[in-house]
Amino acid sequence: MMHRLTVISLSELCQLERIESHHIIEIVENGIVKPIAKTISADATDNNKKPDWEFETASVYWIKKAVRLHQDLEIDWLAVALLIDLIQQRDALQKENAFFKQQLSRFTEY
Amino acid sequence: MEFKDYYKILGVSKDADVKDIKIAYRKLARQYHPDLHPEEGGGDKFKEIAEAYEVLKDADRRAKFDELLEYGDQSSQGFQPPPGWQQNHHTSQGDPAADQDFSDFFNSIFNGGFDQSHFNGRAQPHHARGQDVETELAISLQETLHQQIKTVHYQLPVSEGGKIRQIKKQLNIKIPQGVINGERIRLKGQGKPGYGGGEPGDLYLHIHVNSHPLFDVKKHDLILTLPLAPWEAALGTKVTVPTLDGKVTLTIAANTQSGKKLRVKGKGLKRKGKLGDLYVIINVIIPPVSNDKANQLWQELAKKSAFDPRVSWGEYL
Repeated sequence: MMHRLTVISLSELCQLERIESHHIIEIVENGIVKPIAKTISADATDNNKKPDWEFETASVYWIKKAVRLHQDLEIDWLAVALLIDLIQQRDALQKENAFFKQQLSRFTEY
Repeated sequence: MEFKDYYKILGVSKDADVKDIKIAYRKLARQYHPDLHPEEGGGDKFKEIAEAYEVLKDADRRAKFDELLEYGDQSSQGFQPPPGWQQNHHTSQGDPAADQDFSDFFNSIFNGGFDQSHFNGRAQPHHARGQDVETELAISLQETLHQQIKTVHYQLPVSEGGKIRQIKKQLNIKIPQGVINGERIRLKGQGKPGYGGGEPGDLYLHIHVNSHPLFDVKKHDLILTLPLAPWEAALGTKVTVPTLDGKVTLTIAANTQSGKKLRVKGKGLKRKGKLGDLYVIINVIIPPVSNDKANQLWQELAKKSAFDPRVSWGEYL
């Protein structure tokens, strides 16, 4: 029986997904994802020391997306954060729109 | 092997400077990036654009490509480099960018020249972790009420004697109670195998909760639309409605309007220790067919009732 994993550490994320730790620090400092129950420590700004963060598995999706957008569109992290905010707002609106369409169809099906 | 004209892909002329190439790439990247336009699917167009940019932004790669473009044979049988090109350009190290997910055409130019042994697959680093795999798992709304054990079937590519073959894999997985539509579950080491002893990638299960014929979902709550006859709504009644795991009898008050929302506490979804509610929304339905007797009763009601549903329109009429 498999057990699902709900958290992933910073070092695991860097090693497994080949994401550089300074990118993840930028992603956290720009508020794109939040580590679990840990705050950004002073260590995070020290390039020689990695913070001991853990992330929810769901955050990996947004971290990978943020890295791709940063590299592919050649935009800075603030712009990536803004873009991710807008993508999340768009996703939420699409979901809400689908919900209201479904509700409307239930009212008009008779 | 298909020849790729990187200038055409980016829509720039052969004498375009780096600045123009960058502008063209950025415009196309915004237009086709799969993270911005997931509905386009696949991201193949973006891969082609990124590959073209990778070549044209770099002076050395661009010079190599220009030479191929000028002297190569782009006949219908497939692209062939000019004679002697391989000897002049072969490097044992290859181009570091060739480890990325680029086409055979790219890898053949920038990762060791036109050697036929490169044609059957991508050039790979000596030791690397396998790629993550994402697969979808559909479950019903009822199944989210309790922890479930589900079997996931998916395919993984394996390399055997230099050939890539798809193998079928099957895993039994615990799906936690309260899983939501769109949630991703990570299963360590169940993705594509690594290269040269590298670790396998992970499997990400993308949960798809199938829509229900009666219930809609809003966060922890369930929404049920309840059709009522006009006389049920006018006089009040008791109605038995389904819940996800049983049924419940509701008392409908007299003069209940369409759109009124009734809350049935604790009959929603269970998630992370929270229990949602069931909301029942009233929808008053006029009978679709009528008969003389029914018409007579409606007419009688019309004569005796002082009700004007458009009273608020007075000043506009």
